[in-house]
Amino acid sequence: MTDTEELPAGVVSPGDTRIYLIEDDHTILQFLQRALLARPAWRLLGHSGSLAHAREHALASQANVFLVDLGLPDGGGEDLLRVLARQQPEAELLVFTVFGEESRLIGALEAGATGYVLKGCSPQELIEAIEQIREGGAPISPLLARLLLKQFRSVQAPGPADTPDETVWLSERETDVLKLVAHGYVNKEIAAKLGIAPATVSTHIKNLYRKLSVHSRVQVVRIAQERGLL
Amino acid sequence: MRPLLRRLLDTPAYVWAALLLTALLLFLAQITRLQGVEGAVVVRDAQVRLAGDPLAQERPVALPHVWDDRHRSWSGEAWYRIGLPAELEPQAMQEPGIGLLLPRVGVRFRVLFNGHELASEGWRRGAGYMDAGVQAQYVPLPASLMRRPWGDNKVEVQLRGQALRISGLSPVWFGPSEALQQRHRWLMWWQVHLTWMVAASGFLLGLLSLLIWAHSGERLFGLLAGGLLVLTLRLTLSAPVFLPGTFGLWDYLHKLAFTFYCGLIYLFMSELFDFRQGLARKVVLVMLLLGPIWLAVQAWTQDYQLYRIWTGVIVLVCVLALAQVMHRARWGLDVNQRLMVVVGLATVGTGLRDFLVVQLGLPGDADIRWMTPGSLVLMFAMGWVLMQRVTRSLEQVGRLNAQLARQVSEREDELHAVFDRLRQAENQRVLETERRRLTRDMHDGLGSQLVQTLNLVRSSGEHIESAAVASMLSHALEELRMTLDSLEPMEGDLPTILGTLRQRMAPALQAARIELDWQVQEVPAVPGLEARNVMHLFRCLQEVFANVVKHAHATRVTVRTWQDGAQVMLSVADNGVGLGWPGRPLREGGRGLGNLRLRASEIGADLRFSDARPGTCVTLVFGLPARAI
Repeated sequence: MTDTEELPAGVVSPGDTRIYLIEDDHTILQFLQRALLARPAWRLLGHSGSLAHAREHALASQANVFLVDLGLPDGGGEDLLRVLARQQPEAELLVFTVFGEESRLIGALEAGATGYVLKGCSPQELIEAIEQIREGGAPISPLLARLLLKQFRSVQAPGPADTPDETVWLSERETDVLKLVAHGYVNKEIAAKLGIAPATVSTHIKNLYRKLSVHSRVQVVRIAQERGLL
Repeated sequence: MRPLLRRLLDTPAYVWAALLLTALLLFLAQITRLQGVEGAVVVRDAQVRLAGDPLAQERPVALPHVWDDRHRSWSGEAWYRIGLPAELEPQAMQEPGIGLLLPRVGVRFRVLFNGHELASEGWRRGAGYMDAGVQAQYVPLPASLMRRPWGDNKVEVQLRGQALRISGLSPVWFGPSEALQQRHRWLMWWQVHLTWMVAASGFLLGLLSLLIWAHSGERLFGLLAGGLLVLTLRLTLSAPVFLPGTFGLWDYLHKLAFTFYCGLIYLFMSELFDFRQGLARKVVLVMLLLGPIWLAVQAWTQDYQLYRIWTGVIVLVCVLALAQVMHRARWGLDVNQRLMVVVGLATVGTGLRDFLVVQLGLPGDADIRWMTPGSLVLMFAMGWVLMQRVTRSLEQVGRLNAQLARQVSEREDELHAVFDRLRQAENQRVLETERRRLTRDMHDGLGSQLVQTLNLVRSSGEHIESAAVASMLSHALEELRMTLDSLEPMEGDLPTILGTLRQRMAPALQAARIELDWQVQEVPAVPGLEARNVMHLFRCLQEVFANVVKHAHATRVTVRTWQDGAQVMLSVADNGVGLGWPGRPLREGGRGLGNLRLRASEIGADLRFSDARPGTCVTLVFGLPARAI
């Protein structure tokens, strides 16, 4: 992970973190349970081993952090992410991935994921990742930043920032942030270079993720309308 | 109905032509059979006297009569005196009266009746081309000039000759004016109008052949065009009675045109019948070359005998050609050749008929020549052959085109197949290269890590050092991630490649408490920095960082990228004890420096070491293509 800043533990209000795991590998469940020993106040609300189970139970849960594996036995996790993003807009959707292949992550981000965690990390790293994302952080890699730059650069149309326009555009600051990430700089260095707070860097990245997902949703709706499905 | 039509269409053209020609000849025989004009009398005897020769006596001659003066130069005058037939006396005094018809008379003439001039043609005209003989002349005999007794009436036809042109008088017709006028119109149609029709047809067909020849370059059409156009010239000169200009010139052209017509048509036939070699062809070529000279000598000397000899040559050539056709026919003829034989025989038949009727007095209308419609038929047959040839060559072109298109499409398919095979082979090669690289990477990186871990676990026995195993496994995982990273599309983006590597290297540097000073700037894309080469770069830098961590005793390492003219530079500098680094192996016992150089050369980069005061700086220099600068 790029974000190597060490955040002080327990900044997030402990009662706030309710986790739901969607993962077919039981060792991951055990790993999570072990990791959660360090944060007794956090609660694991439930666990689904398949898409079907998750549709039934995860959607109804009151969790605010979903850990989603993309390769479930009965299908890809992207569809689930899409539903979760719509029904639980306040929740953090963390993709659980072994390798963090950027081309696949883009798809997950478009479906509504707000971050990702690499499988194989230490329990400590997992807790930190969840805390970071609850704090407003957003994990990103140079390759991912590069992909985003390419994706967004292809459509350049000026427009107001909060318009859910179907054209995705980047502000100058967002472009700077993405470029620096792509060049291998970490959040702290980016903040120093741009003269902003490190948290603001994360906010920019998170905004980008949101834009990506909104853009993707608008595109889905538009394509559906074009095909007469809506 | 349909099968009948098909059978009719399948019948060769020469059969049709033979049937049609037989019908045509029968029709001609029918309309030109000798039938007297009702009430008319043909006078076949006269008294002739050569004017300008006072010693010459008037003497009786039979008509038709060719004026046979001493030198056959027809330069003087000949006067024919003809008596009126007694049968016409009753009609002579009544309306509409009687007249006389001169089917052929020339070259210049005038008709006197009882001393009064009733008609003349070219009698008072001076120089110029003149031949009244080309058309029939009708002269009414007015009742007011009739004398009594009937025997006192005298018709005198006076002729004035022309050098090199036969002069004379045909039998004279006397009869009721209406009947003779009708006969006159009939003869005019045959002698003048039909000639113009043949000339026009010849001109059009000749023009068409000329166009085809210009387009196709086939000699056959050129010869036919030449033959038909000179025929047109000859016919054009044959129809009019008078042409301005000198007689000699027109007469020369008239005779030369006939020579060329015969020669070119023979060459056309020889081309059609494939007589490329042979005596006759040579004779014809000599004739064509000699013709203009011979005829010019004839015009210069005004010796008609020379023309007679020349006509003999032409006849000889025609006979030779005919003999050749007969000879050739023994090997069989194709459809077009048969058609030409049939039509040629018919044309020769018309000529023979004219000869027999006009010269030997066989029954038939001697004033009407079959040769004119005969040559028209010959011309149409030639047109037919022409059309057949063009059609056949068009068909051949169509067939060739279709064949060519088929061949092109076959070749195209073959090319596609070859291309597909090549592409498959290329894909296979790329896959194979990539597979080898991945295998090697897995073997060197992940494989050796896993083997080490396995050995550690096995040697540990019951007490497994879980921290060490976890560390080794996470190294293995990192190796695998690096391999996967190298497969992501990087497009030679050096900063992103370095950023990706930073993710992998940062924890190790952090653990060694070495500060990382990241000074990576945007640089142009480095060509060739993809998959395999990205992995080489990863390994290179891994080696460099490993050395910094293990041997340099540094507290800070600076990574920089920048562009320097046509080069992209990447440097890793530490502040350790690096002096003398180049002399020292980068990693004791390892493949170290050599490996580093090898990998650098693999990716086409230049590897340089320098003193960073303190510490060492390793620089990789990448060249840029000219357009990227």
